[in-house]
Amino acid sequence: MELTRAEDSLATAIHQARMSRQPIASRAEDWAVNLAGAYRIQRARVPDAHCIGYKLGLISPAKQRQMGLDQPIYGRISRAMIRERVINLSDFVQPRLEPELAVVLRRPLPASAEPGMAVRAVGGIFLGVDILDSVWADYRFSAVEVIADNASGGGFLLGERVPDRMPDGELRLYLNGELRAAGPVAALGNLAQQLCWLAQAVGGLAAGQIIFLGSPAPAIPAASGVLEVMLGDDIVQAQLEGAG
Amino acid sequence: MPEQPVTEVAIAELAQRLDRAWEERFTISPLTESAGISDAATAYRIQTHWTELRLGRGERIIGRKIGLTSKAVQEQMGVNEPDYGTLWASRYFPAVGGRAEAPFEVFLQPRVEGEIAFLIGETLDWPDITPQQVLAATEALAAAIEIVDSRIERWRIKLADTIADNASYGGLTIGAWSKALRSSDLRTIGMVMSHNGRPAVFGAGAAALGHPALAVAWLANKLRSFGIPLRAGDIVISGALAATVPAQRGDLFMLEMHGQPPISLRFV
Repeated sequence: MELTRAEDSLATAIHQARMSRQPIASRAEDWAVNLAGAYRIQRARVPDAHCIGYKLGLISPAKQRQMGLDQPIYGRISRAMIRERVINLSDFVQPRLEPELAVVLRRPLPASAEPGMAVRAVGGIFLGVDILDSVWADYRFSAVEVIADNASGGGFLLGERVPDRMPDGELRLYLNGELRAAGPVAALGNLAQQLCWLAQAVGGLAAGQIIFLGSPAPAIPAASGVLEVMLGDDIVQAQLEGAG
Repeated sequence: MPEQPVTEVAIAELAQRLDRAWEERFTISPLTESAGISDAATAYRIQTHWTELRLGRGERIIGRKIGLTSKAVQEQMGVNEPDYGTLWASRYFPAVGGRAEAPFEVFLQPRVEGEIAFLIGETLDWPDITPQQVLAATEALAAAIEIVDSRIERWRIKLADTIADNASYGGLTIGAWSKALRSSDLRTIGMVMSHNGRPAVFGAGAAALGHPALAVAWLANKLRSFGIPLRAGDIVISGALAATVPAQRGDLFMLEMHGQPPISLRFV
């Protein structure tokens, strides 16, 4: 898949910022790239063959309006982005943390899927952490810029328990024992509808794909120490090391 | 020093040697000593050949077992990954009302272990499978008693000996499949194994490689490296949760796992 000259220069700017770990200033709409072009840029970074899932972003209508959108955005997840217990923050440019839920599909979900099919395709729901990592300085970006930057996708953590239904209650994120972010699961919206929207947007989802459902709470800056996300009686813990 | 690859003829001869020991019930000296087999890859060739030999005589595969999942056992064997074997249907002892019986005389030097069994509901066939993908593809789980046994004299096994010897498989029985167990915390789920009415060993899910689903993910990736996906309908026993207990004729073992009906195995 070929990128246009304008798309290529935006992709290159993002790539260089990530490689040098130096944030870059937003140029808003100056890139002459549209939303479809921005999604082509993230697809060039994580090609379909390496895409093991997606993250949803901007799931609240209020945030969508702020960005001039009327639907969520998505980013692509590669296997290397799935992290385990110890995370080195110096791998990232401007890491921030969000408490999330993620589903793993046990069956494929075609682009034309109905909500009932989406529910049956879900194999499990897990606690998760989205380690956001925008290259755009202070997370100030246009819709095109954030989408081209893979919806700020940096790293991901997953819990190891499968509740038997969509949990409810409050997702809470602690850093070094202090409660830093919290939000209700209800704010994630309707799971089946979100999955159908994503399946249609990406042309179908495959069995085994991992989908992070977005955060009900604002992101907080990452810092070294102990990270914990809790919901009900489930918990995910990790050790964050290095700068931050 | 580069090693010569072991010929197919030698692989077949060693598989037959193990099969005779299994069928005619005698122990043999370690293959690492008598045949100079030292690497895991060659040992898996022997194991695979042995399974094919048995399939040719009507044996059926019902799934896989994962061994060497505890840190302590790995250190003792000087390895840093588990191994796997194949569950042969001829040594599956069904439990009726939670009670199973196994004829003692078919074994050589049996020991028992308490484990968590996975029933795979969807085939896992992609690279780098994660524990969460395993859980999502799991239909149900159950408590299981595995009988481990060794065709190698006095259990004098090194890594290649146990891999070639079908990961020291002896037999198994499985409790009722539970969908609810899937939503338990498999890391902290506890078990007690009693031996002739007395509690003998205790364990928790985390004993199997930190999390039983992590052990199954390892298996799925290992099998896939040999071109075999973990398939819908496969049973996987995911590794011992406590020390093994030696069994004698007439012994009765009882496995109690948190939230599950007890399951007993008697050697008759």
